[in-house]
Amino acid sequence: MFRHSWAPYAFIAPAFLGLFVFRFIPIGLSGFGSVFSENLRGDMVFVGLKNYAELMEDPSFWNTMRVTLIFNLIINPFQICCALALAMLVRRPSKFIDVFRLGFIMPMTVSIALTSIIWSILLDPTLGPVNGLLRWAGFQSQPFFRSEHQALETLILVATWKGAGYWMIFLLSGLLAIPKEIEDSALIDGATGIRKFISITLPLMKRPLAFVLVADTAANFLLFAPVYIITNGGPNGATQLLMFEAYQAAFAYINHGRSMAISTIILAVVLLIAIFELRLFKPAGEEQS
Amino acid sequence: MSPRLSEALRYTLLVSIAVVLLTPIYWLIMSSLRPADHIFRFSGNFSIETLIPFSFTLDNYSQALQSNVGRALFNSLFVSLTTVVCGVFVNSLAGFAFAVFDFRFKKLLFVLILLSFMMPFESIVIPLYTLMRTIGWTDTYAALIMPEVAGGLIIFLFYQFFRGIPREIYEAARVDGANWWQIYYKMTMPLSGPTIATASLMIFIHQWDAFFWPLVATSSERLAVIQVAIARNMTMEQANWGAFFASASLAVLVAMVPFFWLQRHYVKIVITNADR
Repeated sequence: MFRHSWAPYAFIAPAFLGLFVFRFIPIGLSGFGSVFSENLRGDMVFVGLKNYAELMEDPSFWNTMRVTLIFNLIINPFQICCALALAMLVRRPSKFIDVFRLGFIMPMTVSIALTSIIWSILLDPTLGPVNGLLRWAGFQSQPFFRSEHQALETLILVATWKGAGYWMIFLLSGLLAIPKEIEDSALIDGATGIRKFISITLPLMKRPLAFVLVADTAANFLLFAPVYIITNGGPNGATQLLMFEAYQAAFAYINHGRSMAISTIILAVVLLIAIFELRLFKPAGEEQS
Repeated sequence: MSPRLSEALRYTLLVSIAVVLLTPIYWLIMSSLRPADHIFRFSGNFSIETLIPFSFTLDNYSQALQSNVGRALFNSLFVSLTTVVCGVFVNSLAGFAFAVFDFRFKKLLFVLILLSFMMPFESIVIPLYTLMRTIGWTDTYAALIMPEVAGGLIIFLFYQFFRGIPREIYEAARVDGANWWQIYYKMTMPLSGPTIATASLMIFIHQWDAFFWPLVATSSERLAVIQVAIARNMTMEQANWGAFFASASLAVLVAMVPFFWLQRHYVKIVITNADR
């Protein structure tokens, strides 16, 4: 490591200016705005914790928290398992494997907004090709996004369609970096198949898996576009995710104080998760010194 | 299980997964080539024509390009490419400092970088909108570009790669009298082709994908990016499905270009980085 009186600070200055203005200032603004409310004349008046108290008493807000929690507890492990399965499948070099690797990440090129629109058409009860196929094969057509009981699960599957291949790349690169000798020595010890995967491969994948868990959580936690485009939080609140609730408060009901209070709660939850996840990066942090 | 049987099973799985992942994209592009009144004719009742259109047309594309979609494609390209250029520069500078120097508060600042990468961008969208309104930046390109330039993930990516460059190279250059700026742009950056390619791809696809922030930050038609324009067209003129499928296909095809172009680079870079 080199030392220099001012060069390192000059090098990090542009990035930290950006992070300060566009990340840290908004966090402050959010906390500040959440203790104000607009009165009938349109003036902002200090109300203390009233906005929070109202949220705490609002059953629809608790429903939002519940849905967001369930959504994340299912989608993140599910996506990572899918991504790991894909990575294991395309790991060994063989014929056409490059084609499959590239093919599996192609859903990345469909933006989250387009993914939402296209899948809402594909899964439409009457016009959708998926239900057309189901009926053709002799099954009953399914309501998918139109049903209170299927909407959240459908949302998870659609988001996984888009995301699994992307996270596969990171896990694949981790798998390919495992030295061949280590796994070969396992073969001599007689470990094969699932046992080899659990006792040899998985522990060696700790770092890439930690990275993907963190990045995947950040990508899914505040999913917005599909709720906004397809379900509008429905049916009957089944897909009312936290970010959509904040958006509604800010831009549909124009309740500034409430939207800022929700934003502050979101930021607190997100920071809490991030601080918890920092422990996953501990080894990396120690190496750098 | 015999090796040949397990290999056959593996390819069966590979092909079935590829079918599930790629059919929606295939169907999207095929639908964009059908005459507008054919698009839904075969979708609800499954037949061979659901998958393979019997009559083709480019009408949908000419309709789409005559509408606001041309302008929106330009906006998205401009915003994404500008963010890539600024983002690679700003984040590689920071990654360089963390990889090469020891300085006060380094640990603390690095934790801030990690935190910023773990915080979803969406979490600050609403207060960021308040900030933009205060400084008068709503409905500007700057509002779409500037917040996405500095990013913890890209700094981390550069930091990881720069850390692997042997310090003797820098020592030799210092002895020859090079200053740190010259070392950064004459030595380190030219060594970093694959990392720059990966970072560019990640920034580009992130910006091309962006929907929530552009929806909030820009309300005028003039500044609508492609994702927002398509979603707005859907609600305003629900009938024009032909134009929708054409503009959606264009948005997907443009996003495919960097994936094919940079394919070799990002697979390689992620691989070389993983063991560190």
